[in-house]
Amino acid sequence: MQAFLQQIVNGLTIGSVYALVALGYTMVFGVLKIVNFAHGELFMLGAYLGFTAAVTWTEVARTATGLILFTLGASLVVAVVGLLVERVAYRPLRRSSRLATVVSALGVSIFLQNAVMLLYGPNYQVYPEGLVSDRAWQVFGVEITLMRAAILATSLALMAGLYFFVMRTRLGMATRAAAIDQDTARLMGIDVDAIIRLIFFLGPLLGAVAGILVGLFYRQINFTMGWTYGMKAFTAAILGGIGNIPGAMVGGLLLGILETLGAGYVSAAWKDALAFFILIGILILRPTGLLGERVAEKV
Amino acid sequence: MSKVRRVVTALGLAAAVALAAGCGGGGGSGGQPSGSQAQGGGSGGGEAAGTIRIGVQGPLTGNYAYEGTGFVRAITMLADEINQAGGVNGKKIEILKEDDKGDPKEAALAAQKLVSQKVVAVVGSYSSSATEPAQQIYADAGILHITPSSTATKLSEKGIKTFFRTAFIDDAQGRFAANFLVKELGKQKIALVHDNSTYAKGLAEWTKKYVEENGAQVVFFDALNPKEKDFSPLLTKLKGTQPDAIFFTGYFSEGGLLLKQARDLGIEATFAAGNANNNPEFFKIAGKDLAKQAIIVSEPMPVDLAAQNPDAKKFIDSYKQKYGEEPGSVWIVSAADAFRVIVEAITKTGKTDGKALAEYLHTQLKDFPGLTGPINFNEKGDRTGTIHRAYTFDDNGTLVPFKK
Repeated sequence: MQAFLQQIVNGLTIGSVYALVALGYTMVFGVLKIVNFAHGELFMLGAYLGFTAAVTWTEVARTATGLILFTLGASLVVAVVGLLVERVAYRPLRRSSRLATVVSALGVSIFLQNAVMLLYGPNYQVYPEGLVSDRAWQVFGVEITLMRAAILATSLALMAGLYFFVMRTRLGMATRAAAIDQDTARLMGIDVDAIIRLIFFLGPLLGAVAGILVGLFYRQINFTMGWTYGMKAFTAAILGGIGNIPGAMVGGLLLGILETLGAGYVSAAWKDALAFFILIGILILRPTGLLGERVAEKV
Repeated sequence: MSKVRRVVTALGLAAAVALAAGCGGGGGSGGQPSGSQAQGGGSGGGEAAGTIRIGVQGPLTGNYAYEGTGFVRAITMLADEINQAGGVNGKKIEILKEDDKGDPKEAALAAQKLVSQKVVAVVGSYSSSATEPAQQIYADAGILHITPSSTATKLSEKGIKTFFRTAFIDDAQGRFAANFLVKELGKQKIALVHDNSTYAKGLAEWTKKYVEENGAQVVFFDALNPKEKDFSPLLTKLKGTQPDAIFFTGYFSEGGLLLKQARDLGIEATFAAGNANNNPEFFKIAGKDLAKQAIIVSEPMPVDLAAQNPDAKKFIDSYKQKYGEEPGSVWIVSAADAFRVIVEAITKTGKTDGKALAEYLHTQLKDFPGLTGPINFNEKGDRTGTIHRAYTFDDNGTLVPFKK
């Protein structure tokens, strides 16, 4: 039982990271009906910028305020990069075929990967030691470190914030309107271009926070990490129903837990394979995902 | 106008060829011309009278260039010493080097080139994947072939009579690790974690065999996925088996993380890891306090060899004097040993025929005083015995012998 509870905690931690990244995929898909394949790389960029800040000002990063400020700063930079990506790689192709957009996204993704590799070198980079204290609590025999608690709390807070924003504010309502039908939304006086920019700002922002959390947790980052986490988060988005914001959150947490239980009770070497089995299974059995939009809404 | 176009086309083609060469090198080498070409041209065809040609094949460019260059340095230095003292059986030794960039394709080319230059014996290559394609080419030509550093078990399973190694196969490391954990440290319940790579899985399986032969128990045996960074599901499962010790047989990039995540989950078992963790990155990733708790099983560091063996000390001192730095890895010393074994065989048999030399090494050579310890070969050409030691990190991230 203890081991099972521990696995659930393990799964929730990694799952909440997937969920944060998945939000980026789902929001872009919701409004533009395209998959931003460069999103994983923006996540990776966040991890690297956080690393740079932490290495340059290690003493400041050791304080909680410093760490939060750096996370915020690095994520804002990534969010601006997200805006740039939209401007350069997606906006010129807005009216062209979906294939063109996919190719363009892959191009951006390869560009970012190579840029980071050239700037930082091909090897692993390691976050400085002791940025987050090693404190841990035992709850019913389950080890919960401060870092795990911080990951869970940060992700849940960000997700709650986003949910509130989308469901309760006027701008959020405009976003939902644009997601249902861009042309009609435009007729209603909504600046759809601004909404798209907003989406490309918020998604990378959340992704970058997730990147830094991963960096702080595992301490080891690599320029190829965007691909693995990106694919997992994309799977999570599909699992929950792509385009659906609560779906991405549920999908992320669920994927984390399923994967962890699979690794714990079957074999750890099968962890990745399991995630993709889930992806294929969902695509075959329920292509709209668990919380997928009803088709009627789109007609 | 057409002339200009032709020049441009030629330049373009040249660039393409250079790019292709760069890719072949596995990155890092960037189309650098290999030093061996000049060497091959200079020495010309046909056997020069009165010299014994010995080849060195290794990665002189690319990711493992440090090791390959070290091989060449060590062997050239020893050959010079021998030549100054009058050579072997009245003949001077000539060293021919070939760069295989650590790449299997290049390795075959390098081997063919050395064969065509009529070497009598070859030291190399560094990695098992580069040694394998070269192996058959040397075997077909009947040339004595000794690798100083390739440990894959399958290399010696093919029944090649002229193939030897001064490195130990993973069997020996597994035996050492099992003996150390069970007999020295008194651990009874051992968890083994590998990463499904040929090397790591093999080492884990050997260790399992010897742990059980020692009367202890393997309570956990599973692989992690090195592309993942989250090993907590595996560790949670491992925690349930309550092991006294964990032995990780994969590479340093996961080793440090595994140790850290184990402690985060409250697993207090002794943490040991195989020789692929003998790397400063392990220290960086695990962090100082945790890294100091780890036991690293490894071939001895050159500096520890020097402390125990006057010959090794002499070798390392002259190497440092000549090249301005100590040999950074044990494989360079092992390459020197491979060369010394070849010279010994030539001196004792008075022949340069590969089969005769191999016969001597199989049957006559006993406890040859190598720089890395006594050298004996079994019928497969594998080195018998063990030289592995247990190490741990000190405050500066240097590996020092482990003390209980």
